[in-house]
Amino acid sequence: QGTQVKDVIIKPDAPSTLLLDKHADYIAAYGNKKDEYEYTLSEYLRMSGIYWGLTVMDLMGQLPRMNRQEIIDFIKACQHECGGFSASIGHDPHLLYTLSAVQILCLYDNVDAIDVDKVVEYVKGLQQEDGSFAGDKWGEIDTRFSFCAVATLALLGKMDMINVDKAVEFVLSCMNFDGGFGCRPGSESHAGQIYCCTGFLSLTGQLHQVNADLLGWWLCERQLPSGGLNGRPEKLPDVCYSWWVLASLKIIGRIHWIDKAKLRTFILACQDEETGGFADRPGDMVDPFHTLFGVAGLSLLGDEQIKPVNPVLCMPEDVLQRISLQPDLLN
Amino acid sequence: MCVTSSGTLKMAESKEEVDVLVMRVVKDITNAFKRNPNIDEIGVIPCPGARYNRSPIVLVENKLGVESWCVKFLLPYVHNKLLLYRQRKHWLDRETLVDITCTLLLLNPDFTTAWNVRKELLQCGVLNLEKDLYLGKLALTKFPKSPETWIHRRWVLQQILHQFSAVARSRKQHHQGEVEQADAERSQQLSDYLARTLHQEMKVCSDAACRYPSNYNAWSHRIWVLQHMAKGNAKVFHDELSSMRLWVSMHVSDHSGFHYRQFLFKELITELSQTPACTTTSSSKHQSNTVPSSSSHHHNHGQANGELSGAEAAGGEERWLRFTKILQLFHQEMELCSDLIQSFPGHETLWSHRRHIFYLWHHLRREHQQHCSSNGSVESVHFNNSDPCLPEVGAQSCAGQGVSVNGQKHINEPMEVDAASLPDPHDSKRLKRGIMLPAPPALLSEHNFVSSILDTCANPEQRRFAMAYKKWLDTVIGQQP
Ligand SMILES: [Zn+2]
Repeated sequence: QGTQVKDVIIKPDAPSTLLLDKHADYIAAYGNKKDEYEYTLSEYLRMSGIYWGLTVMDLMGQLPRMNRQEIIDFIKACQHECGGFSASIGHDPHLLYTLSAVQILCLYDNVDAIDVDKVVEYVKGLQQEDGSFAGDKWGEIDTRFSFCAVATLALLGKMDMINVDKAVEFVLSCMNFDGGFGCRPGSESHAGQIYCCTGFLSLTGQLHQVNADLLGWWLCERQLPSGGLNGRPEKLPDVCYSWWVLASLKIIGRIHWIDKAKLRTFILACQDEETGGFADRPGDMVDPFHTLFGVAGLSLLGDEQIKPVNPVLCMPEDVLQRISLQPDLLN
Repeated sequence: MCVTSSGTLKMAESKEEVDVLVMRVVKDITNAFKRNPNIDEIGVIPCPGARYNRSPIVLVENKLGVESWCVKFLLPYVHNKLLLYRQRKHWLDRETLVDITCTLLLLNPDFTTAWNVRKELLQCGVLNLEKDLYLGKLALTKFPKSPETWIHRRWVLQQILHQFSAVARSRKQHHQGEVEQADAERSQQLSDYLARTLHQEMKVCSDAACRYPSNYNAWSHRIWVLQHMAKGNAKVFHDELSSMRLWVSMHVSDHSGFHYRQFLFKELITELSQTPACTTTSSSKHQSNTVPSSSSHHHNHGQANGELSGAEAAGGEERWLRFTKILQLFHQEMELCSDLIQSFPGHETLWSHRRHIFYLWHHLRREHQQHCSSNGSVESVHFNNSDPCLPEVGAQSCAGQGVSVNGQKHINEPMEVDAASLPDPHDSKRLKRGIMLPAPPALLSEHNFVSSILDTCANPEQRRFAMAYKKWLDTVIGQQP
């Protein structure tokens, strides 16, 4: 009769303190130890992988441990004729990796290393008549790409180069009855897409268009008895979704609606005490992706060992202050 | 086949040797497809080391397997080969490109650039669109979520749609004599082809949905397909809604599957709530685009509707049928939802479905009320005065449902309209045909449903969701006019 609620049980001996040094060692060593097969499997998203690693290092105050020059040279080699960036050398350019490249250059305060005008031209060229953005020249449409486009332009200070009104119109057309957003009009609400859409509306100054109470409600219902958050009803809790939900709540000014202490316990339990790094759930394999979102989540929850993180761009606040970018938040 | 490849791949000395051996395995995969065009699943066979004299590519019935030991060599090798080609550092002929992208994508389907190479091959006619849909389908048997595979499918389907509309355009241009005959045939073939493709896409989505629960990419693809390939085709939406009934009943935790059902439901309701194109009557202006037909309130209030012209009467009939259909859909959906919630306690998905359906009803009602108040006709005024116009139906039905929550299912059956209150000749004609008015959702019946769950169910999750639903009714629905 009935089923158990889908959740995890946090064991009493799960990590309950933040192991910052271990995480920094884990990320610093990550690039070296990978075998060729593993490297190949994930090369299609390398640029984002580097952004995850560098951002979490910066949040922990450990950015100088990474090889700045090597990374900047790599980024330069990934810019294409069209202005867009690919995930790695020889791959095709895409908005996803264009944003990651620009984010990394902002962390290093070195946007001048690339041809900025061409990047802007690339982003602008991907906007469609209905205001949406294609991810690349092949035309796939997704609200994630709307976020990538405005985030890239906001970081470069060139937001006025696109039709913002139309872009907003499209994102709003993806809003659902539960206050959430999906990838396209009619698609299911999803915490990752909600993060992109609330982030988009923050960067375009349109957060008043969100039904914050209704959306906040849905987002809070993502918290499970373990304290972890899932991305949709009846999915397991996950550190990365915990970030997306938490950041969205922060953006719409409803972060106090969830049980912060319980979420902190869940995130801390996802650390690997031996190897360092965070996994999606307690006991699983760690990776840089969940390590960033674990640390960034703890930062949003107010952990003072970590630099404050910006909920919209998932970058250290001091980096955004440097470029005078302050995305709106509701209160 | 590759007699030596498996045994010696690891210890192959020179780069050239490795190249020859790896390319043999790639060819083995290509040949497997030639030998059996009906391969319907791919997988990796756990196998620690090479077995002498045997290919690592195994074909058993319609399943294609790759021995695990060889994947570690094969993938990096072909991966780098394609990237060198992409950087114009190494030339590959088209046939090789077809073969290695196939191998690559079956092993690592999120390698975007490999799909892009195939898009270029498709554009220059080296590959055909069906073949790529097939390759994607196979990749999804092992990687049912793979976003890039779904993205590539949408691109391929767009190409098919472009071809289709190009033919349709050229058909419009010359429309005389024999040409027309040939064109008609070609056009028929194309629409058959499109219908087959649509059907096949639905199947691919179902398979992927069964392989991975709450598969966001599979279900949002399915929505995309309907939006692009079945726009305005109510029959397709109807058939989908019927076939989903069993599916959701067997997957009560699958939020994405339920969302798809909500999408279909909403599309059908929207379609039904639009007045048919033939709005020839003078009174049609204020009746367009609304769900409840004026006839319904005549039923409820027992009012005769003066002298309708013939055309108006026909329009009224149509509206009445549509309105009844809408009520019926809502009634059946809420009933299905109640059944599932009671049979499978503690599923957030089912409660979320209930919210969605109730919200749709609530929204429709409000839209109608707004429409009425923005209209000055006598009839509209009457609608407003009889406020709430549609809830009138709801008020009657919730009395019935109030009892039904105690488990007496029969009360939920459609209620019969009281014949005595219907002097209108058109209405009595309807009655003779035995039209029943099903009970739509209502706030009171929802509260009663929640109470009955709280009174009878001990499952803590079920109680938590019931309480949340009650709170949602009070705040989200209750705060709206
Ligand atoms: Zn995750």
